[in-house]
Amino acid sequence: MIQQRFFWILAVLVAVWQSGTASPSYAQDAGDPTVAAEPADSEATAEGAESESSDTNQANEESEPTASGDAAAAADDPPEEPAGFFRSAEKQVDNAFGEFNGFLASWMFYPVFGFPLAVLWLIIGAIFFTVRMKFINLRGFKHAILVTAGKYDDPEDVGEVSHFQALTAALSATVGLGNIAGVAIAVSVGGPGATFWMILAGLLGMSSKFTECTLGQKYREVRPDGRIMGGAMFYLSKGLSEMGMAPLGKFLAIFFAILCIGGSFGGGNAFQVNQSLNAVQETIPFLEQNRWLYGLIMTVLVGIVIIGGIRRIAKTAEKIVPFMCGVYVLAALAILLMNFSEIPSAIGTIVAGAFNPDAMYGGFIGVLVQGFRRAAFSNEAGVGSAAIAHSAAKTDYPVREGIVALLEPFVDTVVVCTMTALVIVITGAYESPELAVYRDSNNGAALTSNAMAAQITGFQYVLAIAVMLFAYSTMISWSYYGERCWAYLFGDRASMSYRIVFLVFVFLGSIVSSTNVLDFGDLMILGMAFPNILGVLLLSGKVKTDLDDYWNRYKSGEFTRSS
Amino acid sequence: MSWLPKSNIVVPIDFSDESEQAIRTALELADDPSHVHLVHVLFPLDSVSPGVVWGETDDTKREKAVNDYFDTYLAEKGVEGVRHTVLFGNPGHEISEYATNNAADLIVIPAHGYHGIKRYVLGSVAERVIRLSKCPVLVLRRHDQD
Repeated sequence: MIQQRFFWILAVLVAVWQSGTASPSYAQDAGDPTVAAEPADSEATAEGAESESSDTNQANEESEPTASGDAAAAADDPPEEPAGFFRSAEKQVDNAFGEFNGFLASWMFYPVFGFPLAVLWLIIGAIFFTVRMKFINLRGFKHAILVTAGKYDDPEDVGEVSHFQALTAALSATVGLGNIAGVAIAVSVGGPGATFWMILAGLLGMSSKFTECTLGQKYREVRPDGRIMGGAMFYLSKGLSEMGMAPLGKFLAIFFAILCIGGSFGGGNAFQVNQSLNAVQETIPFLEQNRWLYGLIMTVLVGIVIIGGIRRIAKTAEKIVPFMCGVYVLAALAILLMNFSEIPSAIGTIVAGAFNPDAMYGGFIGVLVQGFRRAAFSNEAGVGSAAIAHSAAKTDYPVREGIVALLEPFVDTVVVCTMTALVIVITGAYESPELAVYRDSNNGAALTSNAMAAQITGFQYVLAIAVMLFAYSTMISWSYYGERCWAYLFGDRASMSYRIVFLVFVFLGSIVSSTNVLDFGDLMILGMAFPNILGVLLLSGKVKTDLDDYWNRYKSGEFTRSS
Repeated sequence: MSWLPKSNIVVPIDFSDESEQAIRTALELADDPSHVHLVHVLFPLDSVSPGVVWGETDDTKREKAVNDYFDTYLAEKGVEGVRHTVLFGNPGHEISEYATNNAADLIVIPAHGYHGIKRYVLGSVAERVIRLSKCPVLVLRRHDQD
């Protein structure tokens, strides 16, 4: 029993290493163009990191959506000479990221029928949960709003925060640069049709989110001091142990925790810094040449909260975000109104693109994959992370918080992401030749910024502030997810070491290329779906039983509303 | 140390099964239950969890929750007359300091603690208490030790 957990962690790492070295076939083969790190590229880097070849540039180029998938052509781009010590150090760090991504992508994004494995797994999960829970994403919607509005709150219930507060906390982790930059990337890589699949992914993802967050509540631990510990690591280990699959549960829980820590460094952190910087440098060009400076400022700002313990800043950021989110959605709506006459044709382009896509967007599956992938990255449905936040809600009924949680992909994807996508489509930013440079380097934030500023003069300044706040609050929230997983593996006393590594990644986010940061974030966050969805599938029978019971009682009027 | 009854015994408690054993041992050694101090150490509050961000959790509430928990726990185990305290900070350090400040002449601590990787990363609380405390420490072995 002693060292059992240590053994499992080792086993997971060895398994990952083995699979990575055994199959040198990359996701790029799957027609999935954003996986940039190429085997050839990685090897070249490994052998000649000091040579003047600019791998960053290559990586960026190779992520370009080329229909033929001919990555070699991209290497023709003239390499950029690294200038000075900082630049060459930046390049080396970036190259290391690229190699690591390529190694992970070889199995996580292993192509199955043209789908990267992780994305296929998310789609299967979302469809299964929607059918199994009899479209809870639709029938639970009204109840979700009433519960969030506090109609069923009971301050005496066990937990830390109200339904509304738990939802806001989870939303602050999901509404981030994925909604602004990620979506722009989806539409530029997958074409307008990706919007359709993204919305569908958001709707189906509501069921995944419901199921996992119900489990998060069901298997949470209440500590003697009233604090709640919950999340995928708890339902995987405790839930599967109840079903007589304790070793599998333990394995999945540790696997999940490792990836979640990675996700908190990548998508929840470096990606946010990187893409928010891309938007900010549109307004402060000085930062373009001194990206590390922004990294340093962000590191300090995050550090004073997570290490310095200045809680007021986190509180303020958390409360401004819903406001900024509103400003963003209103601005997008204004742009749609200004281009009112083009809306029907934009919708036509989106639907046509979804079913009869242009070959340059990677065909039907390529477009579908882009939509689902960027939706999952943004709303985290099926990923299991949000269950950590939702488990803190005060309630005696796990299903009730699950129902609240299904609003999350709706707000995040069906509302906010769709706004970004429509703006990108209507303004033509996804095909405008002037903006090609941003599309090629996966600089989604600058794409959105330019698209919006062209419509509303000066909006890039508002957007720069908004994205900084989104990035900041997402990082703070994700540091909580990562820290819980870290504590799960190494104990509560190890928190400080986590926080230090987290800050290192804040800084790295500013100097690593957008493509490598995006890939790293994708791999970690989408990778979390492997252990999570497998466990949730196995435990879905329990959720179904609880849901049926709850729904019958709800329909019979057993639950009283407070007002 | 002598085997005479002790007038001040500190027992770190984490509400595990081993904790109960430690309380029983301390009661046997003490001249009076009121000389047994049960201590639970809480980690400092983080700044980023939903409860903290929304201002729903603070150290006062946590302390009260643990004291309530103590009352229920002790009633369940049929233990009466002992004292209990909540401390904040690093467990090993806080326990030793509390023992010194209260002129304890013995600390009774179960050695269950962490095992596996956590032990390598963190060391055990018992180890730290032994290193830091100025009074004798009685370490109880865990039953399933292998």
